[in-house]
Amino acid sequence: MSDISRSINKQDTNAKTSGSIEYISDMKIEGALHARTLRSTMARARITNIEFPEIPTGYYIVDRSDVPGMNRVKIIFDDMPVFAEEEVRHIGEPILLVVGEDRAVIKEIIDGIKVEYEPLVPEFGYVNSVIHYDYEKGDGEKYFKDGSRIITGEYKTGYQEHIYLEPQGIIGIFEDGKSTVIGSMQCPYYIKNAVVQALGIENDKVRIQQAATGGAFGGKEEFPSLIGCQVAVASMKIGRPVRLIYDRVEDIESTTKRHPSLIKFKAAVDEDNNIRAMKVHVSLDSGAYIGLSGVVLQRAMIAASGVYTIDNLSVSGDVFETNTVPNGAFRGFGAPQMFFAIEMFINHVAQELGEDNLEFRSRHLAKQGEATSTGGHFRDPIIMNKMIDKVMEMSDYKTKRKQYSAKDDFRGIGMSWYLHGCGFTGSGEQKHIKAVVRLRKEKDNTVTVLAANTEMGQGAFTTLRKIAAGVLEIPVERVIYNNPDTDLVPDSGPTVASRTIMIVGGLIARAALKLKEQWVDGEEILIEERYKQPDYVEWDDETLTGDAYPAYSWGVNVAEVEVDKATYEVNIRNLWGVYDIGKAIDERIIIGQIEGGLLQGVAYGTIEVMDTKDGRIRQRNVTDYIIPTACDCAPVETVIMDNPFPLGPYGAKGAGELPLVGGAPAVALAIENAIGKKVMKIPATPEYIMELLEND
Amino acid sequence: MVKSFIPGTYEEALELLDKNEMILMAGGTDLMVKKRNWAGLSPLFDKDVLFISELRELKYIRKSGGFIHIGAMTTLEDILVHRETPEILRKAVLLMASPGIRHIATLGGNIGNASPAGDSLPVLYILDAKIVIDGKGTERMVPIEEFILGPGKVYLESREMIKEIVINDVRFDMIHYEKIGGRKSDAISKISFAGGISYKKGRIDEFRCAFGAVAPTVVRSRKLEASVNGLGAEEIKKSYAELIRPIDDQRSTAVYRKKVCMNILDEFLDKAGEYK
Ligand SMILES: Cc1cc2nc3c(=O)[nH]c(=O)nc-3n(C[C@H](O)[C@H](O)[C@H](O)COP(=O)(O)OP(=O)(O)OC[C@H]3O[C@@H](n4cnc5c(N)ncnc54)[C@H](O)[C@@H]3O)c2cc1C
Repeated sequence: MSDISRSINKQDTNAKTSGSIEYISDMKIEGALHARTLRSTMARARITNIEFPEIPTGYYIVDRSDVPGMNRVKIIFDDMPVFAEEEVRHIGEPILLVVGEDRAVIKEIIDGIKVEYEPLVPEFGYVNSVIHYDYEKGDGEKYFKDGSRIITGEYKTGYQEHIYLEPQGIIGIFEDGKSTVIGSMQCPYYIKNAVVQALGIENDKVRIQQAATGGAFGGKEEFPSLIGCQVAVASMKIGRPVRLIYDRVEDIESTTKRHPSLIKFKAAVDEDNNIRAMKVHVSLDSGAYIGLSGVVLQRAMIAASGVYTIDNLSVSGDVFETNTVPNGAFRGFGAPQMFFAIEMFINHVAQELGEDNLEFRSRHLAKQGEATSTGGHFRDPIIMNKMIDKVMEMSDYKTKRKQYSAKDDFRGIGMSWYLHGCGFTGSGEQKHIKAVVRLRKEKDNTVTVLAANTEMGQGAFTTLRKIAAGVLEIPVERVIYNNPDTDLVPDSGPTVASRTIMIVGGLIARAALKLKEQWVDGEEILIEERYKQPDYVEWDDETLTGDAYPAYSWGVNVAEVEVDKATYEVNIRNLWGVYDIGKAIDERIIIGQIEGGLLQGVAYGTIEVMDTKDGRIRQRNVTDYIIPTACDCAPVETVIMDNPFPLGPYGAKGAGELPLVGGAPAVALAIENAIGKKVMKIPATPEYIMELLEND
Repeated sequence: MVKSFIPGTYEEALELLDKNEMILMAGGTDLMVKKRNWAGLSPLFDKDVLFISELRELKYIRKSGGFIHIGAMTTLEDILVHRETPEILRKAVLLMASPGIRHIATLGGNIGNASPAGDSLPVLYILDAKIVIDGKGTERMVPIEEFILGPGKVYLESREMIKEIVINDVRFDMIHYEKIGGRKSDAISKISFAGGISYKKGRIDEFRCAFGAVAPTVVRSRKLEASVNGLGAEEIKKSYAELIRPIDDQRSTAVYRKKVCMNILDEFLDKAGEYK
């Protein structure tokens, strides 16, 4: 059998590169009406009256009074209304839909609607805590009293916008008492559960179908549930299909983004220059509704000690509600914020102690068998030392670091170390997701994968098919994986959290093994597998202690930069990365994930600027919200090291989010090295670098 | 209903324009963005539209005497590759937009758009560009600094269009061009700078420089330029500092813009010294 890592053609490549693929906005549905959203223009206000122009026949207003079930979008924390109620809580909040045939008429109606508001005082700061968590490891209090050296640090991270290929779009159809929702999405069953709740109808009366999805990055995790509910309500009321396709500007201004954060550290260092204890606090800005913010906070908090073993940890965090657009899932899910902060802090501590940062970090680096931040255990081999040696050899890190530190030539090199827990936090998989997959062997001896996980460019269909084909020892062309349709596939969980290969792929591998044993040519056979939490995983949801994840993927990055003395612009000259993702199921797909993720992380740390003024996003289009172009890509050199995880298919762990996590700290550390100043926030823009250099 | 006109000849274009007030559409790379509508609806034009980008009579680069004449509908890409293009203009064009846009965007459009961040403008200012404006029987020529009145505002009557840009073919001994955008390509300038110096017998004979995106229109001061020979670097910088009054916006800050302008000017003056 050939090595599973050997690359094959991606299932979606031809259709996507030839332009023949149908995205949601390309879909022509008989009799479909257009919908457009009327949005709040106030950051916080009470709606006192809505005055409508004359509505021609064939045109409809759909608002909260049309929601037959609950006017709440089901997303872990059900606080977001499908349509605004008395109070609007952010600019851009959807109040109602105008639906009809002619877009020009719809626009006229929208322009003619007058909403009267009674303004309320909005909040934009870290003031209103709506979720608080904390956890303890060891007992560090005494170290903060007994005269050890205390070092503190405070770090800030900004928004990040997904800029997925196609804006959000969804179509709702209501026929014969059944609601069908088609759209660009990551999590068909999330939408299904949300629509069931909003329509208040039977589970089997809701059907969700994924349309081709060009990109998502977490932006199509929970947000489509909101618009899915809206079109479901609208199509049910009107009795005709309703399509709601966002324009880019509307999408940027009114959909979820990465949570801005403020992270504070306090470390107690002993006489041997070792960190004995650490206190960490994370503040996340959730925007106007909580949604997934609590879970994002957990992931950030669990990453509080980075890749280091700190025996005594006291970690707390708050989700703060503000009157801005709600924030949500984004590749990394809290980890990019925390890894930027902890990597900077560890380096700053070393610097303050006058220690070589490599030496200092290496001494604290976690080893196999040691306790994780939450008191679980790193059970599997950790090969970070090998990876670090490798990346330093590839980048000539030590020589350059010495050279750049000595000289005042504005060149710098920085290295980040990070990990990413694979799958849902804690017992999320076991308690909430309860993944089920099926394999159906058809009479013609092809095998269909029945799972709800989506292809969004990341390669899921190709890699999951490869796993099934590999175990079955049949050609991959004989394994079929179609865009999920909840009427046809079981709930194998959402396509998020770096879980798809490890968890769903693992189930597929186990099902394939069973199928192989029962294989009879020419017969139809159905195999089902359900997720079982590994026996060793122990997790306490209340105290946030135990094994937060069944496995961890690891990464190291080196970035080399040059800062322009006159313009303070950062030129990224080279990037290197070494990764332990268990085993690559398809090397080219993984390289794609790595290079794209790294670039997204580097851009998060440097050029992707988004802020608000009086509650309104200021960078509302792709002219002002800058993401890297091909010219901004530095050469990337990547090495993937095998370190198979016994419970993953072929030893694979998660790889989707990991590569983003290390980009910002690596580049921020390189900038520090170049300019000789501490970088305390990202994005480290030329404006900020100027400030650092000027405020001597 | 808005009507569209696609004239076959320049003559015909002028005639159509004479009859009717119309929006001039060149490459449309500014216009289509500005007039964008909900996808699926026509762009938000409130007047008839005259499509002029394909008028062959307005696509040329010609040298004659000490001047270079560029037809208004010459695309940025054509300017980039033409051998008569002054080096400093080439540098600016190379950093404009992306290859796809450059193949359709025109120089006339960049001027007609009159954005404070229009990247050809600082270069055209220091090359003493003159704008040839044509209407039926009313050809006239004005210096670029009189043509551009403010953001999006130009000195153009409703029945006129830009026909040609005439630039001085000055050969500077030293040129300096900088564009600072949010990324390496396809970015709107936070700041741009064009400078050129010529020497005679070891003394500065010509000193020209202009700053873009730091005021409503390009900052160039002929008065200051004429007096540089008698001034020290610090005095020159101080004088320019008074002219540069940038703003905070979603792309950068006033403080940064100002500081970087001064740094660039510093570099430029340094380089000038080295050349002497
Ligand atoms: C992705 C992207 C990137 C860009 N990057 C840059 C950049 O880096 N730097 C930069 O400076 N610009 C940039 N632009 C803006 C734009 O491409 C340029 O300003 C371009 O030169 C406009 O030319 P056009 O032919 O497309 O003009 P159009 O959009 O057709 O017209 C622009 C304006 O000029 C008027 N006009 C056109 N022709 C005439 C004429 N003959 N007489 C009188 N008025 C006329 C029009 O009525 C309109 O008001 C970018 C645009 C996009 C979409």
